[in-house]
Amino acid sequence: MNNLSPSVTYNKRFGYIAFGLLLLVILFSTYLHHFQPEVLRVPSNTDVSTWHNPAFEQTLIYNRMSEAEKQKIRTEGVIDGNNLSVVLFNDVVMILLGLICYLHARRHFGFWMASCFLIGSFVFTGLEESLWILVGRFLGGSITNPIGEVAFGSYWFTKGGLWFIETPVVACIGWFFIAYTCVLTAGKVFPKMNLLGRATAGGLIAMGIDLWMDPIATSPEIMSWVWGKGDFLLIFGIPLYNFMGWFLLIFLFAILWEKLPQMEKTWGRAKATSRFLLICVGGAFCVMTFLFLWLMIVGNLLSLMGIKQAIQIPLGW
Amino acid sequence: MLSEIWKNRLEFYPFLSMYLFWFLGSFVNSLKVQNRPGIVALGLITIPSLTLITIAAIKTYKELLLSGDTNE
Repeated sequence: MNNLSPSVTYNKRFGYIAFGLLLLVILFSTYLHHFQPEVLRVPSNTDVSTWHNPAFEQTLIYNRMSEAEKQKIRTEGVIDGNNLSVVLFNDVVMILLGLICYLHARRHFGFWMASCFLIGSFVFTGLEESLWILVGRFLGGSITNPIGEVAFGSYWFTKGGLWFIETPVVACIGWFFIAYTCVLTAGKVFPKMNLLGRATAGGLIAMGIDLWMDPIATSPEIMSWVWGKGDFLLIFGIPLYNFMGWFLLIFLFAILWEKLPQMEKTWGRAKATSRFLLICVGGAFCVMTFLFLWLMIVGNLLSLMGIKQAIQIPLGW
Repeated sequence: MLSEIWKNRLEFYPFLSMYLFWFLGSFVNSLKVQNRPGIVALGLITIPSLTLITIAAIKTYKELLLSGDTNE
């Protein structure tokens, strides 16, 4: 078939390369996570006594557990941590939810825009989360926060079949369809708003959903992810920067994606794609730097105000 | 109404995915969290987001009716 338009030919090539590369990274990360866990120092799900930086006692979940729960975790490990059926169920459900959103996006925005949304949001969030996880894992605990507590400033996921670096693929796909639906919702409900307004609304809708999901997912009964201590503003047991991260990632990504057609007009489809993806990768580093600075600034302010321990909004508000 | 939604189900997939995600990821899991009644009540905090998603789904349905395009 030589009579295909240039954009169709480009789309095909882009699809093969982008999805192929993503698949390779996922396969390699999954192999490392499950079969060579020592390379990225993946914390064990079966023996929590091997956790260090932070140790089990230095995690936020430790403070939320009764003595019986602590003992259970010490003897049996993370709940459902190695339960293949739970992991498989989560992976399959989330991939299906992501797929149906992708079909919707493809119908309304075409293959190129839909694929850029999927791959862009996947890489943007997966990379940002993995950076945060790995920086904390390798460097956390070496500094104290401005209010004098040892800061780990990190977390990790305990469950996942497929992985993108150190973030479960289910989390990356979750980001994709949450971002997509929230931006779509904002556009439908507030059609007269400008781009900044819609991106803000989309970020806030997503953050509203997360305000309940994360306290549940980090509860001792679920333990889908684990936070280290050392953050000074905790909302429902979760560091504030997590919710800021949710808002920022969706807000920034929504703006970037909506600029894509304009970028295509200016630079052409191939250059627009590569620049879009480069901005996604760079954006992950920028968001992380911003959150780090935020932690330092707020921590110093609290310290100046004479606050000596973390401020917590408890679960049973 | 239901048959029209079914014929145009693809239009509702994003909203369906969010409802399912909320239901399975938050609501069902919240019931597993024992001895922490506050966590179930905390679900009220998602009402504004769910309301907006529901409004968007209703608007999508109305747009379909207005366009008269009720076939896939």
